[in-house]
Amino acid sequence: MLNYNENSPVDDFKCGNNYFLLFTCLVFFSGISSSYADTEDNLKVSGFARVVMGYLDDKNAEYLGYDNSISLDQESLIGLQLDYQVVDTLAVTGQVIGHTGAQRDSGIEWLYLTYHPTKALKFKLGRQRTPFLNYSDVIDVGYAYPWATLPQQTYPRHFFSTFDGLMANYEISNNEFVLNIEGYWGGFKDKVVVAERIMEAETTDFRGLISNLAYQNWTFRASYHQGRTSVDLDDVVQFSGLLGQLGFTQSAESLATVGSTEVYQLSVNFENIDYFVRTEFNRIQADFVFVPDSDNYFVSAGYNYLPFSTYISYSQNKTQYEPAATDIPIGINSQLDIIAFSYQEIFNQLPIDSSEAFTIGTRWDLKAGLALKGEISQLNGANSDRAFFTVNDPSFDRKAILYLVALEWVF
Amino acid sequence: MKKTCAFLILFLLSFISAAIASDAIIVVANTDDKSIQLSRQQVRNLFMGGVIPYDLKAVALPPENQTRVLFNTKVVGLTESRIQSYWAQMRFTGRKTAPKEVKSEDLVLKYLENNDGAVGYLPAGIALPNDLTIIYTIQ
Repeated sequence: MLNYNENSPVDDFKCGNNYFLLFTCLVFFSGISSSYADTEDNLKVSGFARVVMGYLDDKNAEYLGYDNSISLDQESLIGLQLDYQVVDTLAVTGQVIGHTGAQRDSGIEWLYLTYHPTKALKFKLGRQRTPFLNYSDVIDVGYAYPWATLPQQTYPRHFFSTFDGLMANYEISNNEFVLNIEGYWGGFKDKVVVAERIMEAETTDFRGLISNLAYQNWTFRASYHQGRTSVDLDDVVQFSGLLGQLGFTQSAESLATVGSTEVYQLSVNFENIDYFVRTEFNRIQADFVFVPDSDNYFVSAGYNYLPFSTYISYSQNKTQYEPAATDIPIGINSQLDIIAFSYQEIFNQLPIDSSEAFTIGTRWDLKAGLALKGEISQLNGANSDRAFFTVNDPSFDRKAILYLVALEWVF
Repeated sequence: MKKTCAFLILFLLSFISAAIASDAIIVVANTDDKSIQLSRQQVRNLFMGGVIPYDLKAVALPPENQTRVLFNTKVVGLTESRIQSYWAQMRFTGRKTAPKEVKSEDLVLKYLENNDGAVGYLPAGIALPNDLTIIYTIQ
């Protein structure tokens, strides 16, 4: 729930050359038919790949790694999945993903057992994607959603990772609706970026409950997730200890590096043959300083005219940190002033990502399993905020247009 | 002149009704329980990987097949693109797997005959063997 994986230096088997992946995608696509292949009755091989080309119209900043040169290596990827049915009620699934983006780790994304005691009940045990939001467990499968990229304001890409644990899924259906309920419990340990610093983080007692209701052309999803995370920030821990020893308990506690994070999510989709409306809201709340509280949402409406669909979207996120404590006096002596300044400086450096995006785009389904998308997003943030940009020039006004073209495959 | 007009109207009506009839879809099952009748929502669930109270397993036609297009439009209520996207999401989240695809209506019939519990959709005019049961019809 922190800035997981972003800027992580860990590369399990990252392709040396980013364009190697693109080439691999093309080879796979030319060699594999659009429907997934049954190599044996019990073994299914399937996969997905995407090539995303992006350009930001401003030389003073980067966004999602895109700058004002055309690049293919930020979000392009390939994933392979093997499903092996051991017996009727038991299966093994493994999924590996190779990313071109330097900010994403490649490697095993999934490795789990599925036990299916009845048609309506399913258990999965092992490494799985975290199902925070509607599309967060298919964030890499661009073919599964209409947009070229999921709105960063609602789906911050640092937000998602895998967990190791148990998931249960139960489905209830009748003539009117289908209700799907999922619950999971587990934990994970990973490199994270907190306040633009890379560190180890461990989340324990990580659990969530997800309900998904389909009624006629409507789909409603509501979920709640919670975990207790600790991050390795030795210097902050030491500084917090010092503040505690000096009696500045409020300041000391405000620099906690252990705490719980909660995620609330609600989404509503309506779709029929002619058009769709999708909207999703999520709130992230954390009780330690380095993870801001944020409210995020998007609204998207699209019109289908086969083989095309054109959509417009608006997405926004508002981010804020807990205010700094004020129990360190200023102006009494120079040593206390230095401590107060050092304390305040930690807060001053916390990046604020509040921003909004207006997007218009079109998806063209070339054939089953293959789609081409084009998308233009106007990105706006306040001058004082980071707004998900990497700012190269302080005078940058936090306004830019992002152009994306994406080719999406599933096979 | 009147006779010609009447003939033309009758001809057009018969053509229109034939066209409508040819657009009707039946859902056919290989089941011992001949009393099974599904609602549209249950048929939708069955072909979208959901749970229904019967032990039935769906088979589908390929994406470009006209009967499948009609089934998508009349029963599922989604575009082929959206259905493909849905299956991509289901498959790569480990939730559900898409029905087995059979290449043509004739092969669907053969598959249904040879597999207990199999269910497929077909155009309404097709000749059915006696051992198969129509469990849903939509005009």
